[in-house]
Amino acid sequence: MNEDALHARLAAAVPGVGVLDSSVKDPFVVVEPGALVAALTFLRDDPACGMEMLHNVTAVERPEAMEVVYHVCSLSQHHSLTVKVRMPRPEGGTHDTWIPEVPSVAGVYASADWHEREQWDLLGVRFTGHPDLRRILLPPEWKGHPLRKDYVYPGEHGGIPLELDAVPLYERGSDEPPPEPHPPRPPGTPLVQPPAPFSSRPVAAGGRTAEPGAGGGEPH
Amino acid sequence: MEALELYTVDERDDLYTEELKLNLGPQHPSTHGVLRVELKMDGEIITASRCDIGYLHRCAEKIGENVSYLQFTPYTDRMDYLAACNNELAWSLAVEKLLGVEAPERAQWLRVIVCELNRIASHLIAFGTYGIDMGANTPFFYAFREREAVMALLERPSGARMLYNYVRPGGVAHDIDESWLSDVLAFCGEFEKRWAEYNQLLTTNRIFIGRTANVGVLPRDMALAWGCTGPVLRGSGVKWDLRRDVPYLWPYDEIEFDVPVGEGTHGTLGDCWDRYWVRMREMMESIRIIRQACARVPSGDFMDKAMVRMYKSPLKPGKGEVYMRCENPRGELGFYIVSDGGTSPLRCRARGPSFCNLSVLDALLPGCMIADGVAVIGSLDIVLGEVDR
Amino acid sequence: MLNNSLPDVAPVKAVDGLVGWGRGSSIWPMTFGIACCAIEMMAVYAATFDLDRFGAGVPRATPRQSDLIIVPGTVNAKMAVRVRRLYDQMAEPRYVIAMGACVCGGGPYVKWGYNTVKGVHKVIPVDIFVPGCPPRPEALMDGILKLKEKISREAVFARRGKTAREMEGRYAQAPAAAPGRGAGA
Repeated sequence: MNEDALHARLAAAVPGVGVLDSSVKDPFVVVEPGALVAALTFLRDDPACGMEMLHNVTAVERPEAMEVVYHVCSLSQHHSLTVKVRMPRPEGGTHDTWIPEVPSVAGVYASADWHEREQWDLLGVRFTGHPDLRRILLPPEWKGHPLRKDYVYPGEHGGIPLELDAVPLYERGSDEPPPEPHPPRPPGTPLVQPPAPFSSRPVAAGGRTAEPGAGGGEPH
Repeated sequence: MEALELYTVDERDDLYTEELKLNLGPQHPSTHGVLRVELKMDGEIITASRCDIGYLHRCAEKIGENVSYLQFTPYTDRMDYLAACNNELAWSLAVEKLLGVEAPERAQWLRVIVCELNRIASHLIAFGTYGIDMGANTPFFYAFREREAVMALLERPSGARMLYNYVRPGGVAHDIDESWLSDVLAFCGEFEKRWAEYNQLLTTNRIFIGRTANVGVLPRDMALAWGCTGPVLRGSGVKWDLRRDVPYLWPYDEIEFDVPVGEGTHGTLGDCWDRYWVRMREMMESIRIIRQACARVPSGDFMDKAMVRMYKSPLKPGKGEVYMRCENPRGELGFYIVSDGGTSPLRCRARGPSFCNLSVLDALLPGCMIADGVAVIGSLDIVLGEVDR
Repeated sequence: MLNNSLPDVAPVKAVDGLVGWGRGSSIWPMTFGIACCAIEMMAVYAATFDLDRFGAGVPRATPRQSDLIIVPGTVNAKMAVRVRRLYDQMAEPRYVIAMGACVCGGGPYVKWGYNTVKGVHKVIPVDIFVPGCPPRPEALMDGILKLKEKISREAVFARRGKTAREMEGRYAQAPAAAPGRGAGA
């Protein structure tokens, strides 16, 4: 089916679907954010559409809006469709103040999981309902969303110089004081006792300890 | 979690065990680059895994918004650096679609030959490094011997051994010399003999089969849901290849070639051995394609004349958006370009196949032993340049 | 204890030369590949270019057993922490070859890369820079041979110029007005 027929089927089944825009090279359909999950679920489950794979999720920052673009494709029917969601920019919405929100489709297509994390990381689009929305490409403590048009480049990150002429780490010298040397062991002091053997350790039921702490996003 | 049933876990009251947190990477011989996987293990068996990527994030998409369309071609090389021409091809086709031009016939056929040679080189690395992951060091040296031959062939038209900057919007950068096509055919003849040697080394090797059969089974539905493409998807039995099903270069319509899929020969359908065998057979199919293409290269321009005139100043396509998908050795590379009429794109998004193929790892690893985990990572054949861009 | 403390006379120089020749002829690199240059580094280990004939073909996976870290490929903020940690784990004498344009000075990612480190010499001290994108395997071999030459010139026992401790004293103080520090962002 070509995009017109796909769009007609989608618009008939799901409310909140806009018109097919063919003015640019690849036609696309704009849907309301509230209708996004229903639209993609229909595209996936309807036998005539049969879009088995979500190929790509992209966020595009335009001066007037933030768009999130979904490319779905079908392997059985050899067709594809582009679905867009638009969030208009509020007055004075800048890099620091504006975080648009879109419902997550990670429940519909599992591949959306990592794609949405990347768009959150680079463009600051929050996907509500995402199972684990955290940074994926940049360090977890990075500030800002670099692909925004008004992003200010940092000079350094955690002491690592990112500028062109920055001073190298090893020339700056260490910021930490050198460790205290061990006091010498007085003569006649016995060696440290070896640790107790395993059999004397407390054993919980089933021979396992409780689940240790989650360990969160700690990378080290 | 079916694989966990193969390995029984001893539960005795007097045995004290603890869950182990193991960190794999980013400096590790088997992670195929700077990939970090946090593993929670019960002895030797992985119970949970979490991928941590971004150690090679090189801001390619931000660079794409600031340089011109032709200047971005070398950056696409460096994404999947093992299959550079295929990346350039996807980018060039996307830009050509935006501009509304088409490369001349000679350039199209040269693109096919160059991309298929690159596919062979890329699969050779997958084969060689997979042997090292399993502990077999010999295939690596054989693979690199053939790879040197391919790189010498590709160095002649493009000038570079690995990151070619050869396929550009509008055609190819330089013409080939007179003896290049006959040398490519000579290489094809040699390679077919060497391919039989590779099968003796790994494919029919009992230890290799024992290490890879029934390991990392990827069911069809999971592969589709997680967006896996390329040999990872074909290893699970799905006969989908963009060159056959949605041909992005019209010469692929006129060439006869098969699309190998996994059949569960030595174990379950979709295990590591199936993915490996799909890659091996794809190398022979690429030889078939190259042979047919070498016979069909016509004389003519290697770069569209209108593009040569347009290249005198930075390209300025009109407003538009395109999404172009190409079949890379690792899967489907997608370029989404949004142009607002300027000399640089407004948004330039690269959908790397390895990014999606790797996302399935967190679902595949639990239940495997740690050595099987290394086999699974190797069978996905990822390149971190493409995962992190 | 004996390092850099003996007088610079002919017998000591001869021992220095012997030790330098020995060290330079069996440099054990670490298997450390970041990006595209790593593939050319693998090609150097492989049969056509064969690094083993120079004694450097025993790559060790752990930094504690290796003498040389070749850094091939772009280092970004996330990776720089790990590169520094790997370098700190190496035992002396240790050497660094920066392979590729990205680690020599930023390479193609120097202008618009927001998280790339513009040259690994900002993170670890580098002995040899091998430029290229990627450098040909012959270029990397040339770099390793130059490193061998550099090692053979090192003073192990003889005292030539400042001792390591005196050099340390110079580096321990942070420069008073460091250019580029704190600027930007």
